[in-house]
Amino acid sequence: MSKNYTRMGDGSPVELTDAELRKDLEDGANDAADRGKVPSLTEEDYKYLMELFQRKDRFVGVDVGNEVVLTYDEGTLKLKRHALLEDRLQALTIYERLFGADTIELCHVDYSYKPVKPIVGYEQGSLEMALLMTHAPLLYGAMPNLGLYTQPDGPCPNPMELLPQGKIKEARESYEAIIKDSVKDIVFASAAMHESGADGINFDTVGASGDPDFLASLLAMEQLTTKYPGMAIEMGMAGEFVLGTHGDLYYDGTRLAGLYPHGQVVLAEKAGATIFGPVVNTNTDRSIPWNLARTVVFVRACSKAAKIPVHANMGMGVGAVPVWDYPPVDVLSRASKALVELCDLDGL
Amino acid sequence: MSDIYEQAKLSVINHDKAKAMDLAKKHLDSGAEPMDIITNGFVPGISYMGEEFGRGTVFLPELMESADVMLTVVEVVNEAIAKLGGGKTAGPVGSIVAATVQGDVHDIGKGIAVAMFKANGYEVYDLGRDVPVEDLINTAEKRGAKVIATSALLTTTMVEQQKLEKTLKEANLRNKYITLVGGAPVTQRWAKRIGADIYAENAHLGVVLVAEKLKEFANKVAS
Repeated sequence: MSKNYTRMGDGSPVELTDAELRKDLEDGANDAADRGKVPSLTEEDYKYLMELFQRKDRFVGVDVGNEVVLTYDEGTLKLKRHALLEDRLQALTIYERLFGADTIELCHVDYSYKPVKPIVGYEQGSLEMALLMTHAPLLYGAMPNLGLYTQPDGPCPNPMELLPQGKIKEARESYEAIIKDSVKDIVFASAAMHESGADGINFDTVGASGDPDFLASLLAMEQLTTKYPGMAIEMGMAGEFVLGTHGDLYYDGTRLAGLYPHGQVVLAEKAGATIFGPVVNTNTDRSIPWNLARTVVFVRACSKAAKIPVHANMGMGVGAVPVWDYPPVDVLSRASKALVELCDLDGL
Repeated sequence: MSDIYEQAKLSVINHDKAKAMDLAKKHLDSGAEPMDIITNGFVPGISYMGEEFGRGTVFLPELMESADVMLTVVEVVNEAIAKLGGGKTAGPVGSIVAATVQGDVHDIGKGIAVAMFKANGYEVYDLGRDVPVEDLINTAEKRGAKVIATSALLTTTMVEQQKLEKTLKEANLRNKYITLVGGAPVTQRWAKRIGADIYAENAHLGVVLVAEKLKEFANKVAS
């Protein structure tokens, strides 16, 4: 019996028979459909995915005509992480001229709005230089990173220490104070970079601290787009559902905790986002076919619910890409092709 | 009897402490085996909450409230067992030292795991975030813990989990402890590579796997 070479979610190689492959695809798709209360895959989708994993090609690509925009987050940090000796402006030109990036992003090494605040003047200077050196739309990006507002790194008591002690009221009050502080910082830094000419702002890893993080981002976006109508804002998520760390936060009448991508995108649009980046987490104990079928179900539902462009997050540990510093090209290219061709995506 | 177990399960799910206490007392007054209501009623309740938390339908404060109900009824049942003159009590199931590793300030996952372990009857020494390996080992030694659990959210801080394994070996303490690793970039592959005993994809699974490992550990010691 012939076997199909693929990988597990941690990147380790695995061979699956056709029957095992089909079962993993069905189980992954049904898991997402059940969790998200959205439609599972069709027989046509299964046929497509079976063929994709049965192919012997090491690398696959989208069919001609299906090409999409490639946006990059954390752009000026990723090369440095791999010990390439370049400064931020050089990194942007490498992305634009060598990697074929359709948008590029300047960011600070701390990659959070709070530490950008005291050095925003320096960041504005760098952005202005970068704008003179590049052609592609240039975004400025950072994470809301609400953890930086908790003691000992910030002024508020740490809800994650209060919650296990049963101090739920105190934890919620702390989160509410953190939201106020973080919105101020996000708006301040984003407005400054916008006024210096950034083509857009990227809110990255939104929801990493749960529903307070998501709410802070929505409120900040609302303030920014009210002040600067037409401002471009990309919102990239941290996880597939909004973790209810507060549990009782609402935006526009919708409870934020537990929202999956198709619910998140609707609120992002209302708050003023112009691009939405859904995330589906990779389960390292399951195969990539299982993860990919699951990702397709979630992302397709998001794409259907969206009126704004959707650029799915593809990278280490998300979008059916293995949790691996150097994602293997065989599964990375298969995941990219399937997401673009099955989910009507606008970009990755 | 199954009705009272079902009600006990629901009292944890609905984090109804008064109802849970009432059911525990009724069960104890009936003369039934005290631990049965914990095993067949309250534990399935907290397990359900853990699973639903992983699905995004239950939120952290609710999970904590259920955990609080669980801890209260366990205390009530244990007191009753003590009054009856001993016998098997509900805990602690084991003791755990937990922390987010040095250099890493991401503690949401660790906080959830701590709450889940507490809710399941473990004694947990939560050292917080940005914790050096030496502090983990010293606490485990001082408190007589069986498990050392570490969380790392960054590829750059995962190496601290490796350092823990190495330091335990150098101090000739490796066989004394069960090590558990978790965190977003951590995988089974990483656990195997560094020699950790358990990798858990999520907090709920962590509780299940630690229970299994502790049983294995106890059998090994007994034999």
